[in-house]
Amino acid sequence: MTQFIWIILTASCMTAQVTSERISNADREPGNWMTYSGNYQGWRHSALDQINRENAGHLKVKWVYQMPTTIFVETTPLVADGVMYVTEPPSNVVALDPATGRQFWRYRRELPPKINVCCGQVNRGVALLGDRVFIGTVDAHLVSLDAKTGAVLWDVTVADYKTGHSITVAPLAVKDMIVCGISGGEYGVRGFLDAYDAKTGKRRWRFWTIPEPGQAGSETWPHGSAAWKTGGAPTWVTGSFDPEQNLLIWGTGNPSPDWNGDSRPGDNLYSDSAIALDADTGTLKWHFQFVPHDVHDWDAVQVPVLVDDEWNGQRRKLVYWAHRNGFAYVLDRQTGQFLRGGAFATQTWAKGLDVNGKPIKLPNTDPSAEGTYIFPGVQGATNWYSPSYSPQTKLFYLAAWENKSVYRKGEQQYSPGNRYIGSVPLIDLPDDPGTGAIRALNPKTGERVWEYKLLTKPWAGVLSTAGKLVFGGSDEGYFFALDAETGKEMWRMNTGGIIRANPVTFMSEGKQTVAVAAGSGIFAFELTQ
Amino acid sequence: MSRFVLFGCAAILLGANPRGSPADVAAGAATFRSHCAPCHGFTAEGGRGPNLTTGIFYHGSSDADLLANISDGIAGTEMPGLFYSEDRVWQVVSYIRSLSARSHTASNGNPEAGQSVFRGKGCAQCHRVAGEGGRVGPDLTNIGQMRSPEHLRQAVLDPNADVRPRYWVVTLTTKDGRDYTGFLMNEDTYTVQFMDLKEQLQSMQKSDLAAYRIDKTSKMPSYRDSLGARELSDLVAYLSSLRPAPLRADAGSSR
Repeated sequence: MTQFIWIILTASCMTAQVTSERISNADREPGNWMTYSGNYQGWRHSALDQINRENAGHLKVKWVYQMPTTIFVETTPLVADGVMYVTEPPSNVVALDPATGRQFWRYRRELPPKINVCCGQVNRGVALLGDRVFIGTVDAHLVSLDAKTGAVLWDVTVADYKTGHSITVAPLAVKDMIVCGISGGEYGVRGFLDAYDAKTGKRRWRFWTIPEPGQAGSETWPHGSAAWKTGGAPTWVTGSFDPEQNLLIWGTGNPSPDWNGDSRPGDNLYSDSAIALDADTGTLKWHFQFVPHDVHDWDAVQVPVLVDDEWNGQRRKLVYWAHRNGFAYVLDRQTGQFLRGGAFATQTWAKGLDVNGKPIKLPNTDPSAEGTYIFPGVQGATNWYSPSYSPQTKLFYLAAWENKSVYRKGEQQYSPGNRYIGSVPLIDLPDDPGTGAIRALNPKTGERVWEYKLLTKPWAGVLSTAGKLVFGGSDEGYFFALDAETGKEMWRMNTGGIIRANPVTFMSEGKQTVAVAAGSGIFAFELTQ
Repeated sequence: MSRFVLFGCAAILLGANPRGSPADVAAGAATFRSHCAPCHGFTAEGGRGPNLTTGIFYHGSSDADLLANISDGIAGTEMPGLFYSEDRVWQVVSYIRSLSARSHTASNGNPEAGQSVFRGKGCAQCHRVAGEGGRVGPDLTNIGQMRSPEHLRQAVLDPNADVRPRYWVVTLTTKDGRDYTGFLMNEDTYTVQFMDLKEQLQSMQKSDLAAYRIDKTSKMPSYRDSLGARELSDLVAYLSSLRPAPLRADAGSSR
């Protein structure tokens, strides 16, 4: 497509508001990146092809925006109607000019002194709806800001940060609501997913990810025990939305305490699960639990990838899900039925999956006092960083890890606001730290189509584009573009900072731009003339 | 305010350990096993972290010192803090105190004699102490603070028992035929940085290499057969004595 048309498209959107309809049709305006995963289906794919396999070698830095922070920057920038919105850890928001990286406004949140976040006071991005910006904060508030000025429109308490609740997830704008998850699986919270009225901040519904006694699913928790009240199953990574079925598909985290399950015999629903909720009511429509009674901290906190495609000769609504436990799954999106699954990385804990997708666990794989070596490690074979699906190649791309941990079992005493994890595993073995890779899978068969090897384990998501490219990053600080069909490296650059974020792409002044957080900055790339 | 002033205040305010019952010791042992054993060993007799069974603690031996060091960690070392209530940290203190009962005598060697061993056996060819000696092995200026005597003894007898990645051995040949051996300093998917045996810093693109290998073993020879028992004790005593001069309470900085 010509530059000229892009300019018109971009210009025509300058005064528009972000609506749920626009996000539903995100593929019609690839010049913007309006929601965490680029579209509701969780694809992290762009129809832009100005940057492509032929010219990717000419990418260069367009601008860098540096943040005054020492915390990992995990934000996914959103771009709509000529403004980029990024979060700055712990819980600030900055509006930037996507052409220059210069700041329009900055919302700086004052935080109480003691906040417990398991793994850094990080934030993964904002949601946009109407003329507003929404951020979840590490002190467990949800805040609505004016998109033009950053002024606070409302600020509601989602949960009490003193009991280990925090918000790191990018909220999701759905219809006239803001859907927001919670963190705290290392502090014994009872997980939930909330929806708030975008205008007023009033809560529309809350789905508790652990049923209370008497409700369906409560039989998977010990009878007569309070373990369910501190059972975890948080919702700390942005889910997907199926507008046709009005279904939110979201992943849940580990049960608490993580590495000692003695106080919570049973499957511990709905931990480590995909849950499908009616978007208007928050009612559970189906669930699929990847790891019953998890004792390895293998959260189901991956972005669900929603695809409609042929399955055994019939058109079917599918969910692709590469899980922290080392298996990649295909589920039916209408029922949650397991269709297939197989390992995408080395795993030593299960013989395989049974016909219902339940893992067939191997003996002696649980944490032990003396330590148990298991693949994948505590951080999983993949984690929260986003996968990508390209409708062009029909491949599923992800950052994967080959590593093991020593799982130790220890005490499991609960006290409010303190860590409730049942041991401290040896996460990284100093002399055997493991390796990483970007992998392309045929999602229907699980077959590995290609692999781009990395010496170290990447914490960065991947982005696929119609330019037949896959962008990814590494802990080594490299940002690279690979051939989406072969995995061949077309370009790379050392940003000098660890990349622990997901890339995005958009149009700015007629030029396709790719942006990713690296170190404590946002880097934007474009082609040299 | 200096750390020492803080500790001093804490000692006055906190007084004695309020959690010293046998049940507290058992609870402290459970916490210890989960949180401390990875470095201090399951029997607390040391590993990468110091031996905690001697009743002598370099960073302060009072209950208040232990409480502060376990709660907040120790700056400048690999010791992290715990995120637990004071009560639970007191239980860990009680557990550690209970271990002193089975403490054995610390290294009984003579540090001055050990220094002669260090010089006489050629240790300084590779190791540096206070700016003197070689650079290819670990700098030992403060090693007594970092490692328990048990760990040091093991390192002398069996250097391969615990080799930090920084001392893994790089062996490579470039495509134009040059051979290098050295100690790994850094590595990523595409490049490697190392110190060669002549103490020169090298950085190479992996795409320029014809052969490349990393051995996770130590270049240091074992001294099992070349040191007498007395020499070994003296050497360990010398290495253990290599510590920064303790800060004096009245000389705290005003940062």
